Amino acid sequence: MATAGKSKATDTDQNQNQKQKQSSKIDEEKKTKKKNQKAIQTQQKLKLKQPTPPEISDSESQSDSVYDGDFSEDDGGSESEDYESLRDSESGESESDASGDEGDVNASDNDALGSDHSHEDQSESSDAHEEVEESDSSEDEVAPRNTVGNVPLVWYQDEDHIGYDIAGKKIKKKEREDKLQSFLASADDSKNWRKINDEYNQEIVELTKEEAKLVHRMLEGKAPHAEFDPYAPYVDWFKWDDAKHPLSNAPEPKRRFIPSKWEHKKVVALRRAIRKGFIKFEKPKEEPRAYLLWGDESDATEKSNHLAYIPAPKPKLPGHEESYNPSLEYIPTQEEINSYQLMYEEDRPKFIPRRYTSLRNVPAYENAVKESFERCLDLYLCPRVRKKRINIDPESLKPKLPSRKDLRPYPTTCYLEYRGHTDAVMSVSVEPSGQWIASGAETVLSRFNCSFTEGTETVFTIVLINPVGFTGSMDGTVRVWEIETGRCLRVWNVDEAVKCVTWNPVRELPILAISVGPDVLILNTGLGNEEEQERVRELLQVKTPASPDDSDNTASIASWHQDDKHGGIRLRHFKTASSVEWHRKGDYLSVVMPADILFFFQYEYSHGSSPICKIHLSLLTTHLHGLPVTSVFHPTRSIFFIATKKNVRVYELVKQKFIKKLETGLREISSISVHPAGDNLIVGSREGKLCWFDMDLSSQPYRTLKCHPKDINNVAFHRSYPLFASCSDDCTAYVFHGMVYSDLNQNPLIVPLEILRGHKSSNGRGVMDCKFHPRQPWLFTAGADSLIKLYCH
Amino acid sequence: MGKPKHYRPPGKKKEGNAARYVTRSQAVKLLQVSLPVFRKLCILKGIFPREPKKKVKGNHHTYYHLKDIAFLQHEPLLETFRDLRAYEKKIKKAKAKKNEKRAKQLEVRRPNYKLDRLIRERYPKFVDALRDLDDCLTMVHLFAALPALEREKVEVKRVHNCRRLSHEWLAYISRTHKLRKVFVSVKGIYYQAEVQGQKITWLTPHAMQQVLTDDIDFNVMLTYLEFNETLLAFVNCHLYNSINVRYPPILDPQLEALAADLYALSRWFAAGSRASKLDPQPSSLSGSEEGQGTALKESELRLAQLQHQLPSNEPGALMHLVEDVAGDEEEEDEDTRECKKLFRNMKFFLSREVPRESLLFVIHAFGGTVSWEGEGAPFDENDDGITYQIVDRPTQTHRILSREYVQPQWICDCVNARIILPTEGYLVGRVPPSHLSPFVDNDAVGYVPDYAETIKRLQAAAKNQVLPFPGVGEEDIEDPQSLLAEGVIDRAEANKAAERKQKIMTLEKQYHDELKMELQGVSYSSSTSKQVSVEETEVREESLPDAEQIAQDTANMSKVVMSRKKRRLYEAIEIGKQRKRDEINLLKERKKNNRVSQKS
Repeated sequence: MATAGKSKATDTDQNQNQKQKQSSKIDEEKKTKKKNQKAIQTQQKLKLKQPTPPEISDSESQSDSVYDGDFSEDDGGSESEDYESLRDSESGESESDASGDEGDVNASDNDALGSDHSHEDQSESSDAHEEVEESDSSEDEVAPRNTVGNVPLVWYQDEDHIGYDIAGKKIKKKEREDKLQSFLASADDSKNWRKINDEYNQEIVELTKEEAKLVHRMLEGKAPHAEFDPYAPYVDWFKWDDAKHPLSNAPEPKRRFIPSKWEHKKVVALRRAIRKGFIKFEKPKEEPRAYLLWGDESDATEKSNHLAYIPAPKPKLPGHEESYNPSLEYIPTQEEINSYQLMYEEDRPKFIPRRYTSLRNVPAYENAVKESFERCLDLYLCPRVRKKRINIDPESLKPKLPSRKDLRPYPTTCYLEYRGHTDAVMSVSVEPSGQWIASGAETVLSRFNCSFTEGTETVFTIVLINPVGFTGSMDGTVRVWEIETGRCLRVWNVDEAVKCVTWNPVRELPILAISVGPDVLILNTGLGNEEEQERVRELLQVKTPASPDDSDNTASIASWHQDDKHGGIRLRHFKTASSVEWHRKGDYLSVVMPADILFFFQYEYSHGSSPICKIHLSLLTTHLHGLPVTSVFHPTRSIFFIATKKNVRVYELVKQKFIKKLETGLREISSISVHPAGDNLIVGSREGKLCWFDMDLSSQPYRTLKCHPKDINNVAFHRSYPLFASCSDDCTAYVFHGMVYSDLNQNPLIVPLEILRGHKSSNGRGVMDCKFHPRQPWLFTAGADSLIKLYCH
Repeated sequence: MGKPKHYRPPGKKKEGNAARYVTRSQAVKLLQVSLPVFRKLCILKGIFPREPKKKVKGNHHTYYHLKDIAFLQHEPLLETFRDLRAYEKKIKKAKAKKNEKRAKQLEVRRPNYKLDRLIRERYPKFVDALRDLDDCLTMVHLFAALPALEREKVEVKRVHNCRRLSHEWLAYISRTHKLRKVFVSVKGIYYQAEVQGQKITWLTPHAMQQVLTDDIDFNVMLTYLEFNETLLAFVNCHLYNSINVRYPPILDPQLEALAADLYALSRWFAAGSRASKLDPQPSSLSGSEEGQGTALKESELRLAQLQHQLPSNEPGALMHLVEDVAGDEEEEDEDTRECKKLFRNMKFFLSREVPRESLLFVIHAFGGTVSWEGEGAPFDENDDGITYQIVDRPTQTHRILSREYVQPQWICDCVNARIILPTEGYLVGRVPPSHLSPFVDNDAVGYVPDYAETIKRLQAAAKNQVLPFPGVGEEDIEDPQSLLAEGVIDRAEANKAAERKQKIMTLEKQYHDELKMELQGVSYSSSTSKQVSVEETEVREESLPDAEQIAQDTANMSKVVMSRKKRRLYEAIEIGKQRKRDEINLLKERKKNNRVSQKS
């Protein structure tokens, strides 16, 4: 019997293991429920155990309290042992696992009895089946083998059976273990205390460890399950929506059964609003539909009365350099890209070409959106004007000039060079007969700029300082040359810089006027026949040192001296004389000195009746409003032109009065020349501009020609040919055709003819002077490179 | 004490520029609107500032013509904008009062306005609209490539609309073979089409994530976009109608989902033209009756899609796309016919990495048949008929011998040159020859890149060919060893003739130049008469060494006599010319340097 009970015990152990394995599959709810059931089962088992000891069964008391006391009494001594055995049993269980196969078989045998019932109310799953199997000892789930019903077992006290099994056979009572046996059993088997005799079914049931624990917990007065928390926080599942109590027991009010009055009123209001159109219903959104806007082009001609639409210019089309794969030459080198940084922001190229070897490498353009935006801004912010694109041939801008061939002759090539001067030739003058020229040169080593103040205005002049002042050795010369051969006829050494040289315009008087520093020398050239020489010599005799009929201040301005060295007259002035000019009759001489008041001298040589040279000094005391630069006599009338830095002033000599002012608009006049007819005037300036004045037309220049990039040093008219010339520091001389028509309605014709080159620059100076031959279309130029050149046609 | 600068005696009206022009702030005051509204009005109405001859208020103002402002004043849109502003206030008020329901309601019912009248007003004729389409197209294409920006109020709907419109436009152009030039630049792809004699150039950005900077006022752009979208929709409508295709095209949703809108559109065209051939009634009916129109549209959609089912199943059916337009062949001009023939009988296949949309458009426009890698493609990569596969990867491992693997640039260059170029330079893995802009007139600029020269020669050769042999003909230009008799001989002759002609031309030119010089009176010309004096020979001897000097002198001399205004103009022109010359010289120098560095 004991072995059978033991096998049963292993059986239940086995079941327990199986249950543990499958417990993960069973949901939580079932588990807890089962445990509760188990607890009940164990209680019942304990009940069953109670009659096991024979002494107790003998006693007739059946009340619970009695066996409770017994139980405690019974187990009181062995409690500590129990706990030990509990621990032991764990190891025992693990050992008994080995016999699992057998146990299964047994279990299935046991199961066969109660399978009908279990199938009824349990699910078909094997899990459920196991459950049934496991709880084979419980009366609730497994049908009891004893079919005696719920009768007290006392009734069978005296019988040798205790009810009937399902087949109706009597179930035999087991033999009672006597005390010795039970003691031995308890001594042999430490788990014996867990074995309980089920008297009803006549079998021995062994409690599992967990069941034992449950029993313990219950004995201690705790909840049978350890995981049950009796003091869990309270979760209020009921929603207390302003209700004092979870449920109301009040009867449903009537209002819940009749339609709302206020709702009705609202509906009526809405209905009225809709009917009257206060509420509009949402219409389906209308998608903008395209239709044939320009359906009939016929009425497109209707004239709009607003301003003309100026279409925006189209964006620039891309060039080769914008390609993703441009030719190599379009890609700037790294140095060039770096140099872009030095440029101004607006000059910097906006787009730097780049090269990608294949299309897949091309990234998105970083300025795409920005450029589009800028285009938008341009479109609505930029003022639009219809501009005519100038697509003209630049050649068509050039004026139609008459053929230069028709305007011949004019000087074109250098024919002769007159060598001999050692330094810059400052001035050249042609003898009226056209046989000789005189030239004045200065030997200058250095050039100084100095400014000096005079009166109220500051005058900035270039003072050419003779090396004499420094070295005392070199000296300026004046030479006379024969034109045709280039032979130097005569040389005068004047110890100072020669600024201007002029022949007396009267052919019979071969006299030369030279401005040298503050002096003006009047020299006898020694040309001409004996008779003429005689006269000249007579003329150049100074009898009285100063004129008696003039006031004192004039004497201080200029003084006459006989110059013995050169055989002439020396006129000494208080300031540097810059230019000298003869009157056409050869009687008068004008000398210009830089002063803000014009001291205007006329040196008169009265040579008719008396051989005595008489000096007539007249003085024009007029304010010039500027320093005089140069002066010139009118070729036919008694008119005198004097150029200040900005303007040209015209004086009547006979009446000694101011006639008019010619406004040049130039910054600094350098030279002036009058057309032989006398109505036209050219003015050269230091800024390289040449002004042509038509005196009859206006006081403004008729034409301003910007021909030289540098200073114009001199200008000259030809006496008979319609030619004029200008020479400048840029080493060139321009020859122009300047035809003046006798018809007053026809404007003068100016045609540039030739640029004459050949001189070299020295010390920043080029061609210093130019003069035409009186009869031939030849031009003499005096250069700073100490050469005089003759240009012929 | 003195009179104010622009003194006007009492009782006298303003006159001249002071009366005709107003500054912008004056205009805003006059119209009683805010500056943004004024700007919007100006953009929509196409009003722009003008340049008065005399700026009365000063140089730093922008001036509007008073007539323009009056024109704005009578614009109904002005009142609409005022109403809109009032409406905005209502919404704002509702929101401030936490009346969300009303705010929402108002928001939904926001009044809308239409711009079609404005378009008609600004472009009375269709050609006028086409003339101004450049900026419109560029902008719509740009927005089609932009992401929707929540903070800039660029809505998804608008972006989609832009995409749709741009596709419709491209589909029309490719369908009618109006495309003329294609240029892939760093900025994007430039296309030029010729529609009704108008050259329309537009730029599409590269299909990538666009860069957005902060310094952009999207309000201005969106106002422009609003107008441009409407304009393009109407233009598309007109164009579609002109080729008998119903305008808002109904696309195959499957293809649309695959982002193959363009292809879907081309199929719509095919179906549409066929349908219209079958019965021209629906188009006329739907125009008259609105209610019936929708029903008809639905049925037609079904019909169209049913028709689509057919060709998609059979592989060769795509060819009808190209051939269908045979009906209106007579109307087409020479150019279109030429363009249509360029890729005829060629089948292209686009690899995955190639910009599909643009190439699809270009190849269709020039009469080719295309497919691509991916779903919905008309034929797949293994198709035997494919002659060219467009590939843009370093190497191609799996090759089919019957086709050539070329880079996408080849297509563009072929299109611009209007001939089938030899593919040698464009094969996979090679660096293709330089891509040249078709918009530059090389002769006018004065510098011809090497590759342009090559293309020119090929073009001349292609024109001279009697028999067009597509594959072989071009190759033997490159290697003269494979002498295919007649073509080469022909070409050689042509070259010779061209050379001769050039020689004659140069001689003639020289002669003309000399004549001109003589007229100007330059003494050194060789054709002067025999009565040259001794002096003159001297002149020549002296002057001949520096003829340049003399030329300069003559130039100088004529400049001397010019009036200042003309002289300045002349000088400005000269400076411009000089700049161009400098640029060309720079290019030449770089080229030389490159050559030197390559050699070493």
